Amino acid sequence: MSLAGSLGLPGWLAEPLWQRQWKKVVAEAKGTAMQGYYAAPQLAPDTPLGDVSIIALDFESDGLAEDAALLEVGWVTLRSGGIALSGARRRRIHVTKGLEAKAVTIHQITDSAAAEGAPEAEVLGELLEALNGAVVLAHFAQIEAQFLNTACQRQFGVPFLGRFICTKHLEEHWFPKVRAADGLRLGKLRAQYGLPWYRAHDGLTDAIACAELFLAQLARKDAPSLTLGDVLCPM
Amino acid sequence: MEVEEVRSFLAQFSPFGALEGAVLSYLSTKIHIRYFRSGSTLVEADAPNQLFSIVRSGAVELRIGGTELNHRLGEGQCFGYPSLLRGDRTRNQVVALEDTLVYQLDADDFLALHNEHQAVQDFFHSDETQRLRKAVEALRSDNEGKASQPMLGVPVRNLLRRTEVATGGPVMSIADCAAIMLEQNVSTLPICDHGRLVGIITDKDLRRRVVAKQLAYDRPVSEIMTLDPMTISGAEQALSAKLIMSRYDIHHLPVTNDAGAIIGVLSANDLLTRLGMNALHVVSEINAAADPAAVAQAAKKLTQVIVHLVDSGVDADHIARFVSAIGEAAHKRLIELAEAALGPPPIPYALVVFGSLARSEQAGGSDQDNGFILDDSYDEAQHGEYFAALAQRLCDGLNSAGYIYCPGDIMATNDKWRQPLKNWLARYRRWIETPDPDNVLNTTIFFDMRCVSGEAKLVDTLREQVLSWSKANRIFVSFIARAAATTRIPLGFFRNFLLEHDEQEGNALDLKHQAIAPLVDIGRVHALAAGLSPISTINRLSAACDADQISGEGSADLADCFEFVRETRFRHQARQIKAGKAPTNNLNPETLSSFEREHLKDAFRLIKTHLENISRRHAGGIS
Repeated sequence: MSLAGSLGLPGWLAEPLWQRQWKKVVAEAKGTAMQGYYAAPQLAPDTPLGDVSIIALDFESDGLAEDAALLEVGWVTLRSGGIALSGARRRRIHVTKGLEAKAVTIHQITDSAAAEGAPEAEVLGELLEALNGAVVLAHFAQIEAQFLNTACQRQFGVPFLGRFICTKHLEEHWFPKVRAADGLRLGKLRAQYGLPWYRAHDGLTDAIACAELFLAQLARKDAPSLTLGDVLCPM
Repeated sequence: MEVEEVRSFLAQFSPFGALEGAVLSYLSTKIHIRYFRSGSTLVEADAPNQLFSIVRSGAVELRIGGTELNHRLGEGQCFGYPSLLRGDRTRNQVVALEDTLVYQLDADDFLALHNEHQAVQDFFHSDETQRLRKAVEALRSDNEGKASQPMLGVPVRNLLRRTEVATGGPVMSIADCAAIMLEQNVSTLPICDHGRLVGIITDKDLRRRVVAKQLAYDRPVSEIMTLDPMTISGAEQALSAKLIMSRYDIHHLPVTNDAGAIIGVLSANDLLTRLGMNALHVVSEINAAADPAAVAQAAKKLTQVIVHLVDSGVDADHIARFVSAIGEAAHKRLIELAEAALGPPPIPYALVVFGSLARSEQAGGSDQDNGFILDDSYDEAQHGEYFAALAQRLCDGLNSAGYIYCPGDIMATNDKWRQPLKNWLARYRRWIETPDPDNVLNTTIFFDMRCVSGEAKLVDTLREQVLSWSKANRIFVSFIARAAATTRIPLGFFRNFLLEHDEQEGNALDLKHQAIAPLVDIGRVHALAAGLSPISTINRLSAACDADQISGEGSADLADCFEFVRETRFRHQARQIKAGKAPTNNLNPETLSSFEREHLKDAFRLIKTHLENISRRHAGGIS
């Protein structure tokens, strides 16, 4: 996780810090598989939201620990006010160590199924290509950011630095109110927006679910000239 | 890469459910998902459109261009395609009624899907009338899929009891032919010359043309046979055979194969046996009834006839004709019995019926609408009592037979409707030449009239005169056109009907007044405006087309629409009868299948358009 994120700094202070960090990691990435990702130009925070390429992302893992194994990742592209399913992907990741029983029951991914997946480096490579020049969208983005960062460190020895939009964060900040303890969960929020209930809990379905929630939040916010800076989540 | 959640959603709805898994998977990758807040506009009217949309969750309202009609679409329903198929601008505005998630396809992707899959084409027919036509077909094929045999729908060849057919030749003697008939135990013998059917003889011919006339049995059969008899192809439906037999009053119909060779003879009995309980049986029973009580007993089987015909997959037009045939038979037999009791009529007169029976469009639960047109030699003092008594017997008999007394008192028992021809003429003339806008609705029924018994010429004279007056009187036509156009589909109800969430009024849809009557009105306005003689709505519409009153397309669309709403009514009535209830025209919209509901909406829209057209054309645009 980035320094700015861990400090929870406000945007006006976080931005210059983030720029310095970015420059630093670009240098670190030279000659690694992440060089391409870090070569992409940086979007200024005042870029109109409509011009931003956004990728909604969700990992399935065998836990939330720092060293949790990633089992699957799903992502989908948001473009011109909608979700384009042509950019939808769901990739299984090959895991060698035994899976934690609890996570397995949630995600319905068994050891043998996970063993069928592609090597983590390969899946990450494909994902990084999609994320090139894009902003990541997730519900509770810190977790996905942590997963991405750990995996990139593990596979390429380079941290993952990126910009994130978090639907949970947006909900809290745009529409503050007193809520139940679990009132900010993805499913609860979706129901409030009249979004359908999804049966499956795989990486792709959850990524789409999050992307739809984001569309609903934007529609409710009804602010036509939003910029990237307006929706970014301080990490 | 397929998106499982999207794919499994699509598979639940027509027409996507009919597509192969691979096609659906492909389709799922072409979709864009969008979200609209309640109240926001998804599609503007009269705007370019490049998107096909499916409601994923929530609801939208189509505001139908140029009308006050709204059409609500919920989960799994589609919009935006008519403009894509036309390659034109949109007609309707689409507004989100709730927060709505939609799946969208680009025009190119939708058109490719449409072009490659018949199921998709059928479903998204570019206009609603086409969809209606498909709907009628689907209703019927749906019926055929059920356990009850579509008895009138089976090919004639399947009804033949014999696989081999005995024939005679034209040069054979009468005696030899009779011998074959005896040996084969048949009552009919086709006569063929070199394999070609040239005539037919029946038991009845032998009695009438041979024995009774003491004709020599060694004469060639060609002298007594019926020449060039009517035939039917074995591939035709039993229903067609039935209609030919009823229309031409024949009881044996030779059946041919594709090559024109005789493969059998279909008898009316074969058909009756096959149909079991059947409309014509009831007609025969009525005709043979010895007294009004027996007429009533037979006529009460009408409800079972309706169930039977609906279950047999018979189309609404034919069901209506059978139902009308029973109604007509009851009138005829009751008046015969009344005449038998009171003695022959002192002067010529006609029993005239009005409304649905006149148009041969009767359904279950009809009341009676009748009158007597008396010859102008009528003398009140001399003949009054007789006709009053005759009318009383007729109307009482009809009431007992299930054709209840007319609530509007349009019955021969009413002095007003038991008058010499000259008075009828004077009354119609007054209606036409000095129309009363408040009363015009109450008189329209009189413009559908038919003689069921007595001197048909009295009715013909009246009808011809009425048509020539109405045709020449544009003001009268404008009045009835206006009256027709004001019998609007009640929009409040319609809206309610469409808004399924809205459960406030538990009222019913009146199929007769809200769906069928407006179509009958359209046919009648055209007939009166152009002086067209047909009485049934379908025939009026086709005559209106021949007279350039409406386009061929318009005429066909209205006919399909008429078929569909009547089919819906008969199916509804059959359901009621099966549930032990009396058939009515009132339908609880909740009992409709979503299929019927969808297409009724199409029908209403079409009716509305045509009502507006006649209003523009004949009522100077005032409605």
